[in-house]
Amino acid sequence: MRRTSVLFVAVILIASLVLGACAKATEAPAPTEAPTEAPVVTEAPTEAPTEAPTEVDPWADVVPAKEIVWWHQHTGEAREAAIAKIVSDFNATNEYGITVTAEYAGSYGDIFNKMLPILNTADVPDVVVGYQNQVATYQLADAMFDMNELIDHPKYGLTKEEQEDFFPGFFAQDVLSLFGNQRLGLAPNRSMEVMYYNMDWLTELGYDAPPTTPEQFKEMACKASVTPFSGATEGAASPTGYELSIDTSRFASWTFAFGGDMFDYTTNQFTLNSDAAVQAWTFIQSLFADGCARLVTENYGDQSDFGNGTLLFSVGSSSGLPFYGDAVEADGTPFAWSVGAIPHTTADPVQNVYGASVSITKSTPERELAAWLFVKYYTSADVNAEWAKASGYFPVKQSVAAKFQDVFAADPAYKTAFDLLKFGKFEPPVPGYDFVRDNVIEPVMTNIVDDPTADVKALLDQANLDANAILAEQMAQIK
Amino acid sequence: MAENTVVHQSRRKTLKLIRLQEQLTGYLFILPALIIILIFGIFPIGYSIYMSLFNWQVTKGPFIGDKNYLLIFGSWWNLLVLVAGLGLIILGSLVWGKAFQSLNNGQRLAHIAGALVLILGGVIFVTGWGMMYETGNKDFLNSLIVTVYYALGTVPAEIILGLVLAYILYQDIVGKEAFRMIYFLPYITPSISTAVVFQIIFSSRETSLANRLIGFFGVDPLKWRFEPKPVLKLLGVNVSGLAGGPSLALLTIIIFGIWSFVGYNTVIFLSGLGNIPKEIYEAAEMDGGSKWDRFWHITIPMISPVTFYLTLIGFIGTFKAFNHLYVMRTPSAQDTVITTSLLVFDRFYKANQYGVATAQAIVLFIVIMGLTLAQNKVMGERVFYG
Repeated sequence: MRRTSVLFVAVILIASLVLGACAKATEAPAPTEAPTEAPVVTEAPTEAPTEAPTEVDPWADVVPAKEIVWWHQHTGEAREAAIAKIVSDFNATNEYGITVTAEYAGSYGDIFNKMLPILNTADVPDVVVGYQNQVATYQLADAMFDMNELIDHPKYGLTKEEQEDFFPGFFAQDVLSLFGNQRLGLAPNRSMEVMYYNMDWLTELGYDAPPTTPEQFKEMACKASVTPFSGATEGAASPTGYELSIDTSRFASWTFAFGGDMFDYTTNQFTLNSDAAVQAWTFIQSLFADGCARLVTENYGDQSDFGNGTLLFSVGSSSGLPFYGDAVEADGTPFAWSVGAIPHTTADPVQNVYGASVSITKSTPERELAAWLFVKYYTSADVNAEWAKASGYFPVKQSVAAKFQDVFAADPAYKTAFDLLKFGKFEPPVPGYDFVRDNVIEPVMTNIVDDPTADVKALLDQANLDANAILAEQMAQIK
Repeated sequence: MAENTVVHQSRRKTLKLIRLQEQLTGYLFILPALIIILIFGIFPIGYSIYMSLFNWQVTKGPFIGDKNYLLIFGSWWNLLVLVAGLGLIILGSLVWGKAFQSLNNGQRLAHIAGALVLILGGVIFVTGWGMMYETGNKDFLNSLIVTVYYALGTVPAEIILGLVLAYILYQDIVGKEAFRMIYFLPYITPSISTAVVFQIIFSSRETSLANRLIGFFGVDPLKWRFEPKPVLKLLGVNVSGLAGGPSLALLTIIIFGIWSFVGYNTVIFLSGLGNIPKEIYEAAEMDGGSKWDRFWHITIPMISPVTFYLTLIGFIGTFKAFNHLYVMRTPSAQDTVITTSLLVFDRFYKANQYGVATAQAIVLFIVIMGLTLAQNKVMGERVFYG
């Protein structure tokens, strides 16, 4: 009896739920309201001076602190050794008697999560590694030191030549327009998105050079998808022209290559739906629709497919150069490969560059000055060359090229990528960017490539609204 | 007489004192555990509630009261409608149940009343949900549905498979100790590492193990963890929305969940089976009961306390599950694999909206509490304790 009762209850309940669901007419989603513009931090207007200002150097009497702490994320024998040497050299040679203690504080994410609860407390390190968007998040709490205070200082700052020695894109990356152009970091190293290509396969397909335009890229990719490479590993996946990983950095790379940007630094708003972005992603959509591209199937699956000779083109970080090399060598039948600029519609290539910078937390002038002196040393040309060689990252100083002839000779692909550094452009250094990347841009990328009939413009329009809404929420935190 | 009374009173006082001392001793024994629970259990919950009442982002903002909760529900009225619907469903099922128990003339009337209340409750519940969906946080509500799919896909399968495996291992078979260990291994292996192995097995690569396996049956390669489409849709049933069921990506994670926990359930069931007196089986056998009869009429009821316990912790566990979901989710699967715990994590660590995230966590906490109480009521009554 009881079982029957339960059964009846279940049937009636399901029926009523279905009834209720049916009764509720489905309505088209109301258009999302345009978000209010993200507020920009502007300095309070200063009153017109009545007298000629007397230049007072606020740093004149500041004596650098003797001990400071640096949190970094570098692991691996070579990088750890290089960090230890840089720090010990600085400690031994700096004229102020500053001692830096370098502490491994976990991954970028770990450091970010550790920093948030201790912002503006005595527990923060003096120097910290962080991506620009992470540092922007710290600055929502007004917790970071604006390096503009010292960068041009006659005694402690960088000379004009030293500033101009930075690759322009790298130098500009840490100046945050959302925070009144405060400089919240300085770049010690960078990576860049490049196109990896299988030159032997291209030759078999009848081409003598990698593509430079999207049209050429598509033609080659489509041809490769139906023409297997003779050197492909047996039993590997079927051939394809291009594999896309759902990663916002790919979104940026292709959008930049079509002449667009993801952010308007004058209005401080996302521009994910720019004409260039729509063109770029309509192009990628057509690659998938025509069977010339597919998604990356597992972590670093594009590297292994490239190594197996079943993938003609891949777009990824230059930090993957040694891993692509290993993948090509893995089965004992290496082929000729290299890297090049992402095929572009612009006159010159536009390359997505990224990397964490070193930033200084707000504390006392003494600690801030000591931290700055270390950052200045760490990013100086000689040290930068030493660090880039040990770490495998790209240096940030143009003059380093002269010291890198041996590296270029040993690794021509590295040289090719190095020559593209001057075309660097970067992703938006704004708070909440990680959330936008994962929750807005990557779902849109999936929708575009999954559905050949998807309206790219409409999807990007909505993504742009969502991204700007998130940015507005983030900036509303500033008191 | 007076002397007796004094002695009596004095004894009573001594007894009271002894009792008090015993109680104090008892409290002293539980004090360390209580302090630990207060600091690491109760305080964080209290602090989360406190945080949820503020516009707490990177730094603590102003007190905003219930606004973070209103972001979830849209309005308190929506929640009220939903809860009223739920209340009517409970009431309807109670009335219906009573009607079946009663043998008097009012039975038919009670049936009709129960059915009407159930239907009304269902309609009101769905209406409340729809109102919430309209004006509340769609991401959060979707995540609740995904969580329910995950729980319903995982827990019953874990229970059934665990019981079947335990019953087989309980028989006199060679090497059963080894099998016990093998089945238990997935549970004790760190889920992060096994989830990575599952990533490879269920890769969308055409040569992945899962795709090769289905290839034997003539099925084309699937995208597995990367597939946001509902399983039913992939099978050709054109349904969308709630009725569409879990995505293939979520199903892959469900398979992982079952694989991880089935061994644990097996071991617990085994210990439960060991506690059933052999005499009952012998008596049933003598009475001519078949193997199936003995399993259905003896094993199942006698093991019901274990089943109840495993179901309870299974549902709580799936609602709180995080590690393997975090590792196995892919951007391509979109929000079809975002359970509430993942959503709260993203809100907390990526959007840095601590107030909103803690409000969502508190709602999840209440949902889990409600489910546990409901399970306790519904299943607890059916448990046979011998």
